[in-house]
Amino acid sequence: MRIAADRILGLALIGLAAFAAFNASQFHVNFSYEPVGPKAFPILLSAILATLSLVLVFRPGENGDWPDKRVTLKLLAVLGVLLVYALLFARLGFVVMTFLTVLSLARLFEASWKKAAIAGLLMTLGSYYLFTLGLGIALPGGHWLPDFN
Amino acid sequence: MFDFLIQGFDVALSPMNLGLAFLGALLGTLFGALPGIGPINGIAILMPLAYTLGLPAESALILLAGVYTGAEYGGRMSSILLNVPGDAGAVMTTLDGHPLAKKGLAGPALGLSAVSSFVGATIAIIGLTLFAPLLAEVAVMFGPAEFFALMVFAFASMSVMMGNDPIKTGIGAVLGVLIAMVGVDSGTGVMRYTFGMAELYDGIDFVVMIIGLFAISEILLMLEHAHGKNANQEMPPLGRVMVSAKELLYCKWAMLRSGVIGFIVGVLPGTGASVAGAVTYTTEKRLSDKHNTFGTGDMRGLAAPEAGNNASAAGSFVPMLTLGIPGSGTTAVLLGALMLYNITPGPMLFTERPEVAGGLIASLYIGNLVLLALNLPLAGLFAKTLTMPRWVLVPGIAILAFVGVYQLHSDLMAIYLMLIVGVFGYALRKLGFSLAPVILGYVLGGLMEDNLRRALSISGGEVGILWDSAISICLWIAAAMLLVLPWLLSRAFSRKSPVTA
Repeated sequence: MRIAADRILGLALIGLAAFAAFNASQFHVNFSYEPVGPKAFPILLSAILATLSLVLVFRPGENGDWPDKRVTLKLLAVLGVLLVYALLFARLGFVVMTFLTVLSLARLFEASWKKAAIAGLLMTLGSYYLFTLGLGIALPGGHWLPDFN
Repeated sequence: MFDFLIQGFDVALSPMNLGLAFLGALLGTLFGALPGIGPINGIAILMPLAYTLGLPAESALILLAGVYTGAEYGGRMSSILLNVPGDAGAVMTTLDGHPLAKKGLAGPALGLSAVSSFVGATIAIIGLTLFAPLLAEVAVMFGPAEFFALMVFAFASMSVMMGNDPIKTGIGAVLGVLIAMVGVDSGTGVMRYTFGMAELYDGIDFVVMIIGLFAISEILLMLEHAHGKNANQEMPPLGRVMVSAKELLYCKWAMLRSGVIGFIVGVLPGTGASVAGAVTYTTEKRLSDKHNTFGTGDMRGLAAPEAGNNASAAGSFVPMLTLGIPGSGTTAVLLGALMLYNITPGPMLFTERPEVAGGLIASLYIGNLVLLALNLPLAGLFAKTLTMPRWVLVPGIAILAFVGVYQLHSDLMAIYLMLIVGVFGYALRKLGFSLAPVILGYVLGGLMEDNLRRALSISGGEVGILWDSAISICLWIAAAMLLVLPWLLSRAFSRKSPVTA
């Protein structure tokens, strides 16, 4: 049997359907005013999902292009940058973190250091004033840097 | 009968709403022209910001609808100039649009496509004005059973029309509905799929869902495209962006026909601009391609899909406003935006909230004029944004996505969730899924379950109520035909014409 992305996906989705159905069967209702209750619809969905996924397992489509190793590493790096942005957003504040994030994202998308730094500076200041003055959004100042604001 | 429209123009002509329609048209064209940001992404990014402005529902909707129609205008630019469709609706525009640009007719091509977009949209907005109130009157008679059947029909029509793989479209829709199940069940108060996390009690927030699914996954896809083949393109010279009366008259039937067809395609639930572009292009090719000039830069081959996709954008408001069933992925997002304002679109919208329904329709008339006025003189300026480097675009999207989600509840959990949804969306797109069914399923899932449960409560658990009325029987038959017909047709065709390869 040919191993195709769609086959793996189909099996994973059948697993998901089983999990969703099992989970739904555990929903416990003390007293219900209506005949259907919270279980039936999710279980019905799981059944449809499993059926469609089964078709996928037996009739997989084309495999598609998957990124090579270098691009995969870069994808992970971009996700890492975004995750760090989220992790430190409140701690270091909007201004510091946005500058660092724009700088690293621009570098990952192949800007020179100089261009990336200029983009970081302009976009940080521009978005800061747009959000605070223009839209009245309260942005985190960063509680690790108490003197910054 | 047209009271709602008069009231609508009252709303739409207020200085603030005029300004918002203008702003929406401008931002929409920009977003449509920027590589990788189509209508859904534009609305996903702008929606939370529009929400923070504290706009009333009709004003927010006017702004977002302006972005939607504007993005359909903007999407044609990269199709014509770079041979890269700006969004799914503009795929067919490349076929004759880019050859025209290569012939040195980029300016006239942009001018012609702006006018045909205008003509197509105008036909469809008039259609919307005429048909929406009529459909709303029929839909008032719908009970929960009919609505449930209608949603089944919508999903059936979507899986047949959208994307090239009906199975994957179906899986995408089911996944969307399952995601909508997360959170406290409104009927019984039972927690479903929350795994004890308090952040999930209210379900996965709509804004988190669309920004993650569309904006974050787009960032990841852009990284791959940056390493792809056509990373650098040169732009053909634009010339004067004008179209002569002779060229317009040459295309008049293409525009008018495609406007009507596009409107009808738009009205069908689940079929959006991409289907409209394809249907109108092939129809026009069949009708008027006498000298085999389509595909080599025939002006009619450009006018048809442009009129068609803009008409379908306006047409997809018909089911959204009257039935609460979105006609496309983008209207699904707009529907979700309305739900944020506690407005559930449906047949009562025209009588209970005429300022929302009428204001939106009136603003479409105004926005369409604004778009034509913007797009003829400023095409050169918009074309410049096509070459915006990704290292500017991607951080920009990231900032808007983060702040848009963060400001919802000043909550970091929402941002983590957005990133997870983003990776999920990226994986789906890599696996050949279209995201529109997922978002349609997510938006409609809760309503679908509600209607099913309400119907069965009325009947005391008797399933027969689901096909008890003439309307619901028709809808079930229509849904079944949609699912079976393409399969039967393809079998019939393959038997008649043996494979010649």
